[in-house]
Amino acid sequence: MVLDPAHGGTDQGARGTEGISESDEVLQFATATKRALEAQGFQVILTREGNDNPSFDDRSARANAQRGAVFITMHIASTGLTGTARVYVEPDAPQANNITGLIPWDRAQAPFLSLSRKLGDLVQQELSKRFKGSPDTLQTAPVRQLRTTAAPAIAVEISSVAVKERAELDRMVPGVAESIARGLTDFRPTYVVPTIPVPGGSVQP
Amino acid sequence: MTPKWTVWLGGVLLAAVIAAALYFPALRRQVNKAKDLTEKTAEQARRELLPVAPVSTGDPMVKVKMFWGSRGQEGELLPVVVELPLSRDPALRAKQVLNTLLAGPVDAESRTLPPDAALLAFYILPDGTAIADFSDEIRTSIPSGIQSEQLAVESIVRTLEDNVPQVLRLKILIHGQEADTLAGHVDLTQLFRVNAKDAAGTQLDNPSPPGSSLPGPIRKAVDTVRRATKR
Repeated sequence: MVLDPAHGGTDQGARGTEGISESDEVLQFATATKRALEAQGFQVILTREGNDNPSFDDRSARANAQRGAVFITMHIASTGLTGTARVYVEPDAPQANNITGLIPWDRAQAPFLSLSRKLGDLVQQELSKRFKGSPDTLQTAPVRQLRTTAAPAIAVEISSVAVKERAELDRMVPGVAESIARGLTDFRPTYVVPTIPVPGGSVQP
Repeated sequence: MTPKWTVWLGGVLLAAVIAAALYFPALRRQVNKAKDLTEKTAEQARRELLPVAPVSTGDPMVKVKMFWGSRGQEGELLPVVVELPLSRDPALRAKQVLNTLLAGPVDAESRTLPPDAALLAFYILPDGTAIADFSDEIRTSIPSGIQSEQLAVESIVRTLEDNVPQVLRLKILIHGQEADTLAGHVDLTQLFRVNAKDAAGTQLDNPSPPGSSLPGPIRKAVDTVRRATKR
């Protein structure tokens, strides 16, 4: 399980009142989610544990280097109804024709899209139970971080840094962590690494 | 006994203090006015440097749909009908509708694009691929987040789809350069499908990280925009 607290370093992401920065807050969300997932028996790594800013490709590489990984990138928006959370997956994309059985890096997400949608649906259902006003269904958006990730991959975006006080965001941390842990627990039995169609047969990535 | 000159000096100083006290508010008003004027002049100068979509007096008035944010529906776009003089030339027409989109709706909260962003250039290639080049403000002034960036791109794409049928797909540049993302989230390396006629599914079919190879004619056009921006 690869958890990606977005931004970091000089890229603070969205900035709100009380000096709230997205890069600091998502680290807190990701750390709590890691603990919740570990309690369910998942092995979890974070793409960053401090205030650094790995590239999009470096973050994807943490998942792509492992077989059977799941990737969740975590964000806090500067807009949206406060106290809600949304799950995004990549839009439909044609798989590349290839004869090598290797996944092109730039389209790494394509073979995993149906799994990403399944995971996204499960996590969004949990989020909408806990956070009133959140959508019931997942959204699609061409999120750069997801495109190069060769694993079931979703983006979770929380609204928002524009809270009146930091405590409002802090109160969302356990619910977000629990929603992701439950969604992933439900997803685990259905996760079979997809095969890549190649002429004359198919191979697993 | 106090010398006479000290009385005179005291009187002069008192008069100076009273004059200063009376003049100070007026001076402050003048300084504030000058500051406003400088800010306005800088903004005007910036706008004067930007190419303005030519509007000929012969352009017919056309009712068009602009896609701005919906106040009632979180994260949704709402078509708003406005009447504009629109050119029959597809590239000019695209500039006119995008400039209107950038100018924003009456209700500022329904904006999808930053008020200080500008369209620097717009081209349509013979195969229906369009290239829109926006100023840096589209990246630096947009509220950060997946939802807001997605809404910004969708508003551009849907407004073009509805008003300029010749545009089949769109490449977005920022200040003449290819960008990885709009403002850290939404992927700009791809071509966005604008029109359903583009059934081949160009979106994500040719993701093109900055510096990598775009299809030949699109690469040529992108390089042209980049060179023009550098000048």
